[in-house]
Amino acid sequence: MTLRSRAATLLREPLVHFMLAGALVFAVLSGRPPDPGERRIVVSEAVANRLVERWMQSFRRAPTADEIDGLIRDYVMDQVYYREALRLGLDQDDEVIIRRLRNKMVALAASEAEAATPTDAQLQALIDADPARYAAEPLLDFTQVYLGSDTPASRGAAAQALGALQGGGAADAYRQPAPIPATFSRTPASDVSAVLGDDFVAALGKLPVGQWSGPVASGAGLHLVRIDRRDPPPAPRLADVRQKVENDWRSAATQKAVGEAYVKLLEGYDVVIERP
Amino acid sequence: MRHKIALAAALLAGTMLTAGCDQIKQVTGGSEVAVEETEFPERVFWGDTHLHTSNSVDAFGFGVRLGPEEALRFARGEEVTATTGMKAKLARPLDFLVIADHAEAMGATKALYDAPRLLIRDERMKRWYDLMHEGPAGSQQAMAELLDARGRNDLPQALTDADAAAERTQSIWKDHLKTVERYNEPGKFTAFAGFEYTLMQGGNNLHRNVIFRDGIDKVGKVAPIDPTYKNTPDEIWAYMEAYEKSTGGKVLAIPHNSNLSNGLMFELTAPGGGPMTAEYARRRARLEPVVEITQIKGDSEAHPFLSSNDEFAGFGVAGWELNNLLMQEPKKNEMFAGEYVREALKRGLLIEAQTGANPYKFGVIGSTDSHTGLATADEDNFFGKHTGNEPNALRANEAQNLGTGKGRFGWHYLAGGYAAVWAKANTRAAIWDAMARREVYATTGPRMTVRFFGGWDFKADDLKGDWVRAGYKRGVPMGGELAGKPGARPTFIVSALKDPLGANLDRVQVVKGWVDKAGKAQEKVFDVVWSDMGGKRKAAGGKVPAVGDTVNVATATYQNTIGAPTLATVWTDPEFDPKQRAFYYVRVLEIPTPSWPAYDAVRFKVKLNPDVRVKQQERAYSSAIWYTPTA
Repeated sequence: MTLRSRAATLLREPLVHFMLAGALVFAVLSGRPPDPGERRIVVSEAVANRLVERWMQSFRRAPTADEIDGLIRDYVMDQVYYREALRLGLDQDDEVIIRRLRNKMVALAASEAEAATPTDAQLQALIDADPARYAAEPLLDFTQVYLGSDTPASRGAAAQALGALQGGGAADAYRQPAPIPATFSRTPASDVSAVLGDDFVAALGKLPVGQWSGPVASGAGLHLVRIDRRDPPPAPRLADVRQKVENDWRSAATQKAVGEAYVKLLEGYDVVIERP
Repeated sequence: MRHKIALAAALLAGTMLTAGCDQIKQVTGGSEVAVEETEFPERVFWGDTHLHTSNSVDAFGFGVRLGPEEALRFARGEEVTATTGMKAKLARPLDFLVIADHAEAMGATKALYDAPRLLIRDERMKRWYDLMHEGPAGSQQAMAELLDARGRNDLPQALTDADAAAERTQSIWKDHLKTVERYNEPGKFTAFAGFEYTLMQGGNNLHRNVIFRDGIDKVGKVAPIDPTYKNTPDEIWAYMEAYEKSTGGKVLAIPHNSNLSNGLMFELTAPGGGPMTAEYARRRARLEPVVEITQIKGDSEAHPFLSSNDEFAGFGVAGWELNNLLMQEPKKNEMFAGEYVREALKRGLLIEAQTGANPYKFGVIGSTDSHTGLATADEDNFFGKHTGNEPNALRANEAQNLGTGKGRFGWHYLAGGYAAVWAKANTRAAIWDAMARREVYATTGPRMTVRFFGGWDFKADDLKGDWVRAGYKRGVPMGGELAGKPGARPTFIVSALKDPLGANLDRVQVVKGWVDKAGKAQEKVFDVVWSDMGGKRKAAGGKVPAVGDTVNVATATYQNTIGAPTLATVWTDPEFDPKQRAFYYVRVLEIPTPSWPAYDAVRFKVKLNPDVRVKQQERAYSSAIWYTPTA
C-alpha cells in the first residue's frame, strides 16, 4: 500500500469521519461558524477531492473532466446562494434545514456510544441493578388437575376434588380433557406461560411445596396444583449472559449519550415559553 | 480553475487504484451453543417471519426510524419507542423473528434521505427527498409515488443502478448480520438472517421471504439479491441453490400475498403459460416448503367466489380482493383460483396427477409484514401496517393512498398474523427444520395451541392417554404424508387449546380437498368438534348453529361465557376413497371478538364509518396432511 492509498483507506474509516465531523462541530460550538460575510470562496484541493468522492459514491464511476467542472461550478453556486441565503436569514424558518441539522447532531452523539466497549465492571453493575432480568429462567415442577372453564360448577368440583386429593385419594373423576400435561417437570417458566398464561405462573410462586392447593386460574380455566419442587432463584453470572447485558448496555448508552448531549447543549440556552 | 480540476483528477486516479486492496474484515462468531432437542416437538414456538425495518426502502420512506436492533428488542418483549413517539411493548414476547427487509433498493431511501441534496440530479428524487424531510405526511406521499413508479418499472435510474445498490446492500447487510447475531440466543430467542425478494411485474405480487438456517459465518458470504425485471422465481431459486452448494448451508423461501398476485402465484401452468414440468414442481416444493397464508394485507386461505359452501370463507378479503398490490390492474373472478391457498392445494393434487410431482405441497404460517419495526398482531395492541398508521384517531377510516387512493381503507388492514412452529428446540436449526418439514401453522394473531396427527388406527380412547406420543409413533404430524393402507380409513387426532390471554373456541373444522373420479378437484369443510356439542348446539341438516356473540362494540369487550377453552376429537373421514389423492387441514375458529378499529374507536373516542369491520372470528390454519394412493 502506498502512502496515498493508505490515506484514502483512512478517509473511508467511520472513526475518521467521526473525528472530522467532531472537529467541525467543535469549530461550530467554539463560536467559529462559517462566516456569511466572508467574500472569498476557495475551492481547495480537499474540497475538490470531496466533491469527486461523493460523486463517485452516487454514480460508481469517475467523473469526466466536464463533469468535474460542473461539480465545481455547482459547489460555487451552492456557496454563493448558501451565504446569501444565510445573510437574508432564509434558514431561520426552514423546517427541512432545521430537522436535517438536528438529525446530524443526534447521529454524532450516538456514534460514540455505538463504537465503545463496556468494561466487565460496567456490565456487572447492570446485572446487580436488575438481577431478575438476567437470572436464568426458573424451572418449574408441578402436577395439576384441569377442571375446565371457571364457572360456579367447576368451582364446586374444585372444592370436592381438592378434598379427595388432600385425603390421599384421586381426582380423575373431576379431570377435564385438555392438551395440558398432568405433570410438568423441569419446565422453563416461559413454556408454562405460553400455554397457561403469566398470571398462572405468578400464582404458582405463592403455593406451598408438596401439597395440593387451588383452584388456581389460568388462561384455560381452573386447576388444582401440587408444587413438587422449588429451587431458590439462581443468581445470574456475567459469563452466561454477557451478550444480553452488553446489548442492553449499548442500547442504553446510546440513548444516554444522545440525551446528555442534548441537555448539555440545552444548558447554553434560556428557553422562554410564553403562555397566553 | 483548470489547475484544480487536474489535481482532482489525479487524486481520483489514486483513489481508484486503492479500491482493489480494500481489506474485507472477516467476521466470526454466530456458532450455535449446544441446546438440547427434545425427542419430539413438545411446545409450539411463536414468531414473525416477515418484519420490515428502516432498511426497507418503503418502510423508511413511510417514515419508520426503528432499525433491526429495536425490532429485535421489541420482539423479545422489551419496551421500545415507536417512530411516532408512543411506547410500544408486546403483551408477551415472541420466540423468533425474521427481519425480512426488501433486498430491492435496500437502504436506498435512507441513502437518499441522508444524501447531500446538491448531488440529487433527478427531479423526482429531489421532490421525494424534500417530501421525506417535511415529515410523516410528506414521507407517505413520496412513498406512494415511489411505489407507483416501481409498479410501472419507471423508477429513476439512480435508484435502480445495480452497482450502487449492491455496494449499499453489502454494507447494510454486514451490519445487519452482526446485529442479528448479537440478539440470537439459542434456547431462548432465535434471530434469523433473511430478506424479502420483491418479485413483481405491473403490481402483481410474487414476493418471497428468504430465510437462512445458518449464522453469519455462512450467510455473510452472500448478500441479498434484487429481482431483475422478470416475472418468474428462477433467479431466486438459482441463488438459493448456489448458496447451499457453495456454503453447505440451507435456505428456504416463503411466498406471501398470493391474494395480490392477480392469479399468478399458484398457476396451473408453468409461469407464462405452457405445461408445468415435474422438474419445476419438485424444485418449487423443495425450495418453498411454506406459504404465508395470512398477514396485515389480507388473508389468503379461501375466497367466497371459490368456496361458496364455506360460510367462514372470506376472512380478511375486503379491500384486497379488488385489485393487485399496487392497484394497477383490477381483479377478475377467474384470477382468484391462482390466489388462494386452499385452491392451490387442490391445484397441487391436479398437477401431481398429471406430472407425478406436486409444486404446492406446502405448509402454512402467518406473519405480520409490518413496516414499523414492530411485530404486532394483537387487535388491542396493533401498531399498523406502516408508520403512517401507527395508532391514531383517523387510521381506521382513512383511505390508503398506495398509488391511487381508491378502494382501500385503513380498516382493511388485519392485525395479524403469527407463525406457529412445532420445533424440538428454540434454535435456528430446529425451527428452520420444522418449517422445512411443514410442521407449522398459521394464526390471525391469537396464540392458540393446535395439534393435528394423521394415521390409520387412532381411536377416541387415545385422547385419554399420552396421545401426543401416540400421534408421533403411530402417525404423522401436520405437514406429513400418509401412504395408503389396504382396508383402512385415515383417522386424525385434532386438538386445540385457546390462547391463554384470548377468546374461547367456537369450533374445529377439517378441510378436505381431493381429486374425484372425473379428474376434478373438490373441497369440503367438516365441523368435527365444537363447543356445547351435546347441548344447545346440536348439528341440524349438516350445519352447526352459530356460537353466539358476546362482543360489546361500545366498550370493545367480549365475554368467554360462550365457546370452549379446549376442543379435541379423533375424526375419521366418512367419505374416504382409497383411489383418490387428498389433503386434510384443520381450521380453528374463535368466538367473535372486537377488531382493532373497535379498540381504536374506544381509545380515541372516534366514530367509525358504517362499513368498518368491528368484530370477527379469528382463526388458526394448520398445515395439511396429504394422502397419496399407492400405485
